[in-house]
Amino acid sequence: METLGHILSPDFLLRNSVYISLLVGLVCPLVGVYLVLRRLIFMGVALPQISSCGIAFTFALQAWGVLAHFHGSEHGLAFFGSTLFTIPTIILLSLLVRRGQGLVEGRLGTVYVLAGAWSVLLLITNPSGEHGLLDMLKGEIVAISDADLGWTAATFCSVILLIFVFRKEFLLASFDREMAVTLKKNVVFWDALLFLLVGVTISMAVLSVGPLVAFGFLLIPALTAHLFAANMRQFTILASLLGGATSFVGFCIAYRYDLPVGPTDVALLGVVYGLAFLVKKIVGLSRGTGQTKLS
Amino acid sequence: MAVGYGRRVVLPDVNLSLRRGSFTGLLGANGSGKSTILKAVLGIIPPLGGQIVLHPVAGKPPVMGYMPQRESLDPIYPLSSFEVVLMGVCGRVKPGFRIGRGEKDWAHQCLRETGAEQLSRKLFSELSGGQKQRVLMARALATKPDILLLDEPTAGIDAVATKAIMELLEKIHEAQRQTIVMVSHDLTTVREHAKGVIWLHEGRVLHGAVSELLTLDKIEELLDLELR
Repeated sequence: METLGHILSPDFLLRNSVYISLLVGLVCPLVGVYLVLRRLIFMGVALPQISSCGIAFTFALQAWGVLAHFHGSEHGLAFFGSTLFTIPTIILLSLLVRRGQGLVEGRLGTVYVLAGAWSVLLLITNPSGEHGLLDMLKGEIVAISDADLGWTAATFCSVILLIFVFRKEFLLASFDREMAVTLKKNVVFWDALLFLLVGVTISMAVLSVGPLVAFGFLLIPALTAHLFAANMRQFTILASLLGGATSFVGFCIAYRYDLPVGPTDVALLGVVYGLAFLVKKIVGLSRGTGQTKLS
Repeated sequence: MAVGYGRRVVLPDVNLSLRRGSFTGLLGANGSGKSTILKAVLGIIPPLGGQIVLHPVAGKPPVMGYMPQRESLDPIYPLSSFEVVLMGVCGRVKPGFRIGRGEKDWAHQCLRETGAEQLSRKLFSELSGGQKQRVLMARALATKPDILLLDEPTAGIDAVATKAIMELLEKIHEAQRQTIVMVSHDLTTVREHAKGVIWLHEGRVLHGAVSELLTLDKIEELLDLELR
């Protein structure tokens, strides 16, 4: 309770980190449900890594003198680099997945490994950015300025709004593309908008909490909610609330026991998923079905 | 017209016309191009040559009610049956707008018509084959279609469910003079319920009345079989 009192206090030093954690926890699952439903989970692993690589690339450009240094512009620059890498990759990979050509998992695995390797190579060419980027990769959510928080909140609120307003279009284009075409829906446009939102969310999440935490919040709340959801509305709301609640509780635990926030959040997500899975099994057995929808 | 996928021509020479209010079975063996023709008519794939002319209904392009093969829909989606049917009204609701009460009532009515009202809250993925077909038919009806196009509506379901589905289709056809095109590889089902038939056989497209094309003599001749 004392920890909670500290964290909820208006003059809490790390309150921006709490807000960022909450935002990532609430918003990532909203786009994560589409990655899960479209069976693009591996893409959810590869994209945060690509995003990190984009960030490392833009900072390397700065170190090489290609881009000028502007004080206080790091966040914008990182977001630019992250988005520049993430969105073209998501479009390319989703096209390859849709066409079903070649080994999709192999390609995604290759992208993941290459992006990880290039992030490290770009990082070592830029000693000044090494420390900050390593913190980010570890999921340290500590130094968040008011400006960064505002920028992140505005972006995430836009994502929430667009996901909510166009939910029936995104769902129709995802679930039954052919039906959408017969209803004269522009499926290419809706796919592009959805992937843009996924890309922006991942870029912003990686920038705020690092690739490990971003992937955790993209995937695990959606998988957990999928165990219990009886319709799409329940699925999205439950995933988002689970993500938000876990991020807050994870922050409290990390603060109380002096642990890094990101890994604590992800570990807690894993515990919640495990418990939910067990509950589902037990409830299923007691009803005589013993089924879980997705495991 | 010619239809196919990419550069692969499945049927090079298709010349057909369908009358409003007809009930046509699109018959053929696996891989004969039945679904390909259907997808071309629906606008899902463009014809590789020639054109499809759809005559306007009340000055507007005809609305297509499409019922896909149920296996084509991924069971990972946690959609209630009602949510699946509600997709049928999306053609009349502008992007970003809420689906109104009237459209929701219409979706419920379509579920009632297909005898699937009690399934509305159940997960679509957990329904039996016959139940799924009823829900998908309700979704196709929810579009308020001028033409109903059904891809293998009785494939993989038992005889009782098949009979129920076909009787339902006949009822819809007779009550509303609904134009229906039904893809099937089941010769008996088409012969019992459809009025006209398009038969894809060894690259040829045969079109005529059931009473002409699906006689025992004709079937024996086309399939090179002895049925008696």
